[in-house]
Amino acid sequence: MTEATAPSRTEPQGFSLSAIPLWGQFAAIIIFGVLLSLVWDGATRWPEAWVIPAAQWITDFIEWLKSEATIFGVEFKDITRGIGAALKAPVKWAEYLLYRGFKGIGLGPLPWVAVAAGVVIFAHWVGGVRLAILCGLTMIYLATFNLWKDSMKTMTIVIVAVPMAALLGITLGIWVTRSKTASRIFSPMFDLMQATPHMAYLAPVAALFAFGPVTALIATVIFAMPPMARCTILGLQTVSSDVIEAGQMSGCTKRQLLWKVALPSSKRTLMLGLNQVVMQTLAMVVIASIAGATGLGHKLLYSLQQLRLGVAIEQGVAISLIAIVLDRLTQAYAYKETDHFVAGKTFVQRHKHLLLFLGILVASYIAAEFFRWVKIPPSKFIWGSGDAKTVLFDAKLLARHMDQAIRDFNVVAFDYINPIRDWVTIWILLPVRDFFLWLPWPVFVGVIGLGAWRLGGMPVLLLCLALMFSFIVTGFWVETMKTTYLVLIAAALCVIIGVPLGIWAARSERVANIIMPICDTLQTFPSFIYLIPAIMLFRIGDFANIFAILPYATVPAIRYTYLGLKRIPPVTIEAGIANGATRMQRLFKVELPVALPEIMLGLNQTIMMALAMTAITALIGSTDLGQEVVRSISTQDFGRGILAGFFIAALGIIADRLIGSWAAERKRQLGVA
Amino acid sequence: MPTDAQIKCRNLWKVFGDDPQGFLRRHKGNPSPEALKEEGYIGAVQDVSFDVNQGEILIIMGLSGSGKSTLIRCITRLNDPTIGEMEYEGRDLLKLSERELIDLRRHKFGMVFQNFGLLPHRDVLENVAFPLEVQGISKADRVTRAKAMIDLVGLGGRESYFPRELSGGQQQRVGIARSLAVEPDIWFLDEPFSALDPLIRAEMQDEFIRLQSMLHKTIVFITHDFEEATKLADRIGIMKDGRMVQLATPEELVLNPADDYVAEFAKNAPRERIVSVGAIMQPVTDAASGTVPMSAKIGAVAEQVLTSENPVAVVDESSGTIVGSIDRQTVATSIFGTRSSEGTRAA
Amino acid sequence: MKNLLKGVALAALMMAPGAAMADVESDEPIIIVQNNWTSQLVLSYVVGKTLEGMGYTVEYAPSDSQLQFQAMADNDMDFQVEAWEGSMKSAFEKAAENGMLDAGTHSALTREEWWIPNYVLEKCPGAGHWQGLDRCAEMFATAETKPKGRFVGPPADWGKNYADRIGALEMNFEAINVGQAATLWAELQSAYDRKEPIVLFNWTPNFIESKFEGQFVDFPAPSAACNEVKEWGPNPNATGDCGAPHSGWLKKAASPRLPEEWPGAWAVLQRVDFDNADIAAAALLVDVDGMEPEEAAEAWMKENDHLVKSWVQ
Repeated sequence: MTEATAPSRTEPQGFSLSAIPLWGQFAAIIIFGVLLSLVWDGATRWPEAWVIPAAQWITDFIEWLKSEATIFGVEFKDITRGIGAALKAPVKWAEYLLYRGFKGIGLGPLPWVAVAAGVVIFAHWVGGVRLAILCGLTMIYLATFNLWKDSMKTMTIVIVAVPMAALLGITLGIWVTRSKTASRIFSPMFDLMQATPHMAYLAPVAALFAFGPVTALIATVIFAMPPMARCTILGLQTVSSDVIEAGQMSGCTKRQLLWKVALPSSKRTLMLGLNQVVMQTLAMVVIASIAGATGLGHKLLYSLQQLRLGVAIEQGVAISLIAIVLDRLTQAYAYKETDHFVAGKTFVQRHKHLLLFLGILVASYIAAEFFRWVKIPPSKFIWGSGDAKTVLFDAKLLARHMDQAIRDFNVVAFDYINPIRDWVTIWILLPVRDFFLWLPWPVFVGVIGLGAWRLGGMPVLLLCLALMFSFIVTGFWVETMKTTYLVLIAAALCVIIGVPLGIWAARSERVANIIMPICDTLQTFPSFIYLIPAIMLFRIGDFANIFAILPYATVPAIRYTYLGLKRIPPVTIEAGIANGATRMQRLFKVELPVALPEIMLGLNQTIMMALAMTAITALIGSTDLGQEVVRSISTQDFGRGILAGFFIAALGIIADRLIGSWAAERKRQLGVA
Repeated sequence: MPTDAQIKCRNLWKVFGDDPQGFLRRHKGNPSPEALKEEGYIGAVQDVSFDVNQGEILIIMGLSGSGKSTLIRCITRLNDPTIGEMEYEGRDLLKLSERELIDLRRHKFGMVFQNFGLLPHRDVLENVAFPLEVQGISKADRVTRAKAMIDLVGLGGRESYFPRELSGGQQQRVGIARSLAVEPDIWFLDEPFSALDPLIRAEMQDEFIRLQSMLHKTIVFITHDFEEATKLADRIGIMKDGRMVQLATPEELVLNPADDYVAEFAKNAPRERIVSVGAIMQPVTDAASGTVPMSAKIGAVAEQVLTSENPVAVVDESSGTIVGSIDRQTVATSIFGTRSSEGTRAA
Repeated sequence: MKNLLKGVALAALMMAPGAAMADVESDEPIIIVQNNWTSQLVLSYVVGKTLEGMGYTVEYAPSDSQLQFQAMADNDMDFQVEAWEGSMKSAFEKAAENGMLDAGTHSALTREEWWIPNYVLEKCPGAGHWQGLDRCAEMFATAETKPKGRFVGPPADWGKNYADRIGALEMNFEAINVGQAATLWAELQSAYDRKEPIVLFNWTPNFIESKFEGQFVDFPAPSAACNEVKEWGPNPNATGDCGAPHSGWLKKAASPRLPEEWPGAWAVLQRVDFDNADIAAAALLVDVDGMEPEEAAEAWMKENDHLVKSWVQ
């Protein structure tokens, strides 16, 4: 058997600095940068005169597209308008179906009873009784909390966007696997698209297309498409070569090979992609409320802005429940086994779920003519009539009680929370922020550049340099450093919280059974939700921003630590035990070092998520890149918005390449690649 | 017997690297191993020529990385050879259009894969019917045909099972049924039993022998298991580092290995089942008592010879004449002797 | 080609089932802009419901307060009932150049200025005037601004640079800009519940006045000279040493297609007129009485039946 010899990285040759130890190289760069900043102001702030007005160019370009550009004699504006109008049709149909009703033919929208029953029946079909109960409770929640219509408005975009994003993703994915050129163009684009925050899509789309549901739809489709494309690529590339060859030897044409062999064989990966599309769509629809999407997201944003936190919590819970239900349903569908004992069953037995739903649908349409509550959930649940009426449940009243409780809590808790907040702000946040703002850019570029070169060689170095200079020369240094500072502190906190939790979960099955589902759920929530407690507990400022980032971005730190420890080969641990290591020694000397590459990949994910959240926290108030992104939507300064979004993605890519290169190298050394 | 050759391969090369065509052209179609190494090319198949004869079982054997899988993929055009000539029944395989190639695969070729290559989303019946389906054969016809194939491999009653619900051996039976569904002229088997447990493997080998005794296909069979090769083969081609070092009957391989590499394989071979009496007989002697047929394997006559005081006469069955003799000593040495001499050499 | 695209678009729209014909010019929906503050939501429902009562079909589209004007110029949305001078003047005027219609000015007058809750006056009696406020600056300090007082300013893109004014008046304050209006109210609510001193950006009319008791801080009255002549105002060495106008306009805006396709609706919109009390009342129904904006609109219409009738005529 041939031993696979791993290519060993050759140290860069013929470079005089190589003779100096690593710390010396870093020290030299730092000293050089600081000295340079003392004699040349341009090293602290890129000279105004040298700034490339890229933001202005982009804004001007989009303005030109909107007003003057023509393609083959057709005004570009008319093309986008045409597309927009064409996309409006399916949205309208979905609206008629879910909440408007078909006025022309006198048919109402789907009665809520039918929709709820449909979801529960589908849940039972794909996932059994437990899933059906979860869905049933969610439906009841949406109805009793008076959120039905808004939920349907949100679902309107979801049901139109999901098939579009899925089809587009599969098509692009297939194309990428078939064409080298397409692969070269799209693979980096997917990387970039996934690292770019949700919000950054809204401004340019809103600029080119009509403001409103169509913009939300397009932005959502663009945002939700990459995971589908990635899963398609992954699925097609990981179909076992035997299966493909078996298809070829069976005499398949290329088309048959794709449609009859490759795609169906990767069903599970594709379904995973679909699950991602659904989740991303929901997350985006909620956020798209700042660009004209109606529904729960819009109501939640409004409640947050009005500080009606009780209502906001009710709406936030609704969004989260919908997210959980959609997640579980698509997952259950992906793992649903095909029943092979269909023969010998009657038509009714085979289609009992469908028939039941059709029955309820017809019955509820008829019943809706007589009972209003079948059509639309009642806003108050009242028992009895006349003077004997008792209000069983009133969501609005509950919300007001919650509001009051939160305010009372705030008054009491303020004396405890505020000193902590002040202390952290004065002693940690402000010094770190001031450090990053003081930092001369040559030091930043030099340190990251040296790291990139040592870890990943020339390609990574060149990429990182290009990305770093992109925000320096366009005059975004200060905003980018503010984002860097926020994200680094948030990521550090995530690691401090997440890694011990991950270790704890890895050591105790019982703890894992509690922590891991919580992690799943936290990641299912649209990121918007995390603003509620932050605003509730803290006032504006970076402290609140960081607090809002934490629950979302800690999850990967926990999960990767857990998985990293769980994946250590038992032999390695047994060897540690055999050598007489104590539990602590084993953890620090054996397990953590072996799991470290995995944990670092978790850190990588944490940073990506923290970056994504900075655009969301801009809704609370911040002065970093995220704020630029959000602001650009209303100022129509698309150039700044697009660039700021790109720079957030750039920070993510730099972190990804540095950590990724390190982890790959480390895994290679450990022989666990 | 050149007329019997169903497939002819001449000077096949499959080279992996940046520009394999140019590389082979530079070296006039015959680069040295040093040149390959120096320029960073990998010669998966190097200058291989052989024929596959009508109705024979040709086994191609070698360790992993020896190029045997690449070779079979060249013949089936799953991978195109870099240079070389290949003919199937007189037609140039390399000049086939896409359409002709698909036609050939639909009607003439059948292939079985190491990891079965079953379509996970189709049940047994649909898997077996798949090659018929892509040809556009009507549903009723293909179901009938597929059911017959499923019965043939002994999986009747499991038509609606999915691959994941079957054991490895059962899955490979489905693979076999599928490859036979189109009634191919040539049957390619790429390490069909390597992924199976030893017991199941032996069972499947017997099954294979049973099928072949009914079907009489021309077969190209890949394995890394010399014992399997000797059990099933008419002829064995041994590959090493992309070259075919010897192509011969199992008996010739054992008796006259072309080099140390082949000898190394042959050393553990069950000689008693491979070597025939005719190959080791001595001249005719008068002292002989009793007769054995010349083509019999030693194992089959060992008991008779070893229990006989005198040498035993060897008879050519076709003419009925006595052509030589065989005694205890010869039988003993041919079964055990070489091994002991190997042992001393090693020491 | 252009016609073809329009044709496709039209066909796509036609496929959507239309609403029943009514006694109006067109049964295509009139799209009414909704923003994210209370009075606007309620009053847009008020006008929308009035039109519906006449037989029009209306739809509501949430929009950003800046983007909406261009959207109306492009006929994507049809009208807005509350356009504020202070924060929307430039976007309004730019869109008006591109074809958006000015549908008239309300009676209501608007003001945007520094604002304090009344309880601040107990601790700092002079806080109603900028000089008095400046003397108590330290009372408003927070961890980030110490020893200067903190002024919670509007989102930085609202076109108001309070840092400049603070500099020009040499005040002992630091302006901290929030990201969204919501955070202003979060800060106010939090401070208000604890009776903690706070000075922040506010405007009228809005729901704040119905929920919190407080007043604007008086600054030197603005004039054209203030921004041009250094010698003008309290600081002879700086421009911009004055406050904001006390009475800004509040307008209505409409798409160019509104008068063409729905002349009746356009006429109604032009007649609609709110004063400060109308607007505050609308906000009150939601922010204090806890109604949903749509319910509040119905309640408001019942209260102001004569007004609604006068628009419909």
